[in-house]
Amino acid sequence: MSSADIPSSTPGRPATGPGSPQDVPPSPGRFAIDPATLPEPIRDELQAPDPAAINTSADELKDGLNRCPKCGATDIRHKPGSDLLICLYCRNEWHGKRVEEEFGLGVGIDQLKGTVIASGARDIAADAATLMSFKCTGCGAEVTINTESAMTARCHWCRHVFGVNEQVANGAVPDAVLPFHIKKDDAVARIRQFVGKRRMFALKAFKQQFIPENVISVYLPYMIVDGNTSVSVAGKAEIETRRYTRGSGKDKTTYYDADVYQVERHVDFTVDDLPLESSTVRGNLDTRANTNNIINTILPFDTKNAVKWNASYLIGVSSEKRDQDVEHLRPRLEDQLLSIARAQVESSMGRYDRGVRCEQERLSVHGTRWVSMYLPVWLYSYHQPGRNGGMLHYIAVNGRTGKPWAACRCSSGSSCWQRSPSAASSKALPSGSWEPPHE
Amino acid sequence: MSEDSGLWLLLAGPAGAAGLYWALYRYYRNTDKSHAVEHETAVEAQPVTGSDHKFDEVKGTRESRISDDNLRAYRKRVKRIRDDTAAR
Ligand SMILES: [Zn+2]
Ligand SMILES: [Zn+2]
Repeated sequence: MSSADIPSSTPGRPATGPGSPQDVPPSPGRFAIDPATLPEPIRDELQAPDPAAINTSADELKDGLNRCPKCGATDIRHKPGSDLLICLYCRNEWHGKRVEEEFGLGVGIDQLKGTVIASGARDIAADAATLMSFKCTGCGAEVTINTESAMTARCHWCRHVFGVNEQVANGAVPDAVLPFHIKKDDAVARIRQFVGKRRMFALKAFKQQFIPENVISVYLPYMIVDGNTSVSVAGKAEIETRRYTRGSGKDKTTYYDADVYQVERHVDFTVDDLPLESSTVRGNLDTRANTNNIINTILPFDTKNAVKWNASYLIGVSSEKRDQDVEHLRPRLEDQLLSIARAQVESSMGRYDRGVRCEQERLSVHGTRWVSMYLPVWLYSYHQPGRNGGMLHYIAVNGRTGKPWAACRCSSGSSCWQRSPSAASSKALPSGSWEPPHE
Repeated sequence: MSEDSGLWLLLAGPAGAAGLYWALYRYYRNTDKSHAVEHETAVEAQPVTGSDHKFDEVKGTRESRISDDNLRAYRKRVKRIRDDTAAR
């Protein structure tokens, strides 16, 4: 939708509410008001380069078949523990193209202006179907893939392997994928070790019934963001000038004199590859509402090594679909940029030995670049029977670094925090939720 | 965490046990953990600039620190000054 489709003036439009100048501006190319009538910063944003400036789709893979460059066979797999693809027919191995070089993602961050969105990070079309069909070129059969959870399928007649390699409007296909490095045996060992280190709180049943076969690999959706930004912080700071005591014995009290300063700090900076969960459920970091924020805690990933999307990396691996668009994630990005800036200015405040109280902060995001990426996670869940449907325990392992993390969630959907600590004090430990200590 | 944590728990009595329980519970579940975005993101920053103006003196306070010291509470948001476009 371009602004030309819409009358340039909109008389009668309220001064507040959606679409008004009081509203947060929509992303470039989607504005319903004549840019010339708007304040300069909004006009700049409107006239910033169009999103989807980087086309990451792979034309050669559009028919769903990923062919071996040497022999043309379609039975292509990810070689475990590496970033390589391997042809099961001729054993030819090759490396997926790193998106970093392919699309120039690491460079020019300090020159970023406006919002640059890679084609796999475009807005999700609400009405897009999740089932995709391919006509098999080998035998003519229809092969269907449900992009909610799978990215590949095999023709059951001629055994051609199909992958969703075309970027479709439903947002299922990202720009890039970071292949698994941690193999299943390794993931299982790390889960055992993780539980072992927490022996007192690990459930006996969990340890007894641990089924390594149930450790599954899954690709979870992220947006990887580069940003060019400036932040200012203002506040009060104090330096101690004198310290003295009055009174004696029990009535002795220490008093302080201090100089009070008004301080301001400004920092211009770029961030490279900041990861944001692009699934609503996984991205909810509020531990009171969501004790299942598994994937944030196993960050970071070496996203620089991500390769251009190729569904062959996903054979045998399930995946979760992205449901957040760039605009949904912008508040989280801004929050993280402010946190980073506060960490950056900290060292310049060392002289204030009585501390600093930040009171105001201002953020200017000059430019951002968004790439949609699948990151690899090993996941184990264990259902513990009990009241209210029992409890679900999760352990996740970063598919690149092996960093583990655990969580639990009451099956009824309520948060574990609702089991109040006072319940623990009355009987030392709440029965039915955790194994009492018995070491 | 050591193997005799269970014994400690008994010695601590009901109140202490609740506190220890809660600490261990957090340890197991990592509820207070999240990605350290401030230190694990590749950041290239220009030199920090700014100003410092002495504007007041405090005499004889019994507080050893400034009130609401939040310099290291990176994630605690304070009043956000929006760019003066009235639109953001
Ligand atoms: Zn081959
Ligand atoms: Zn076929």
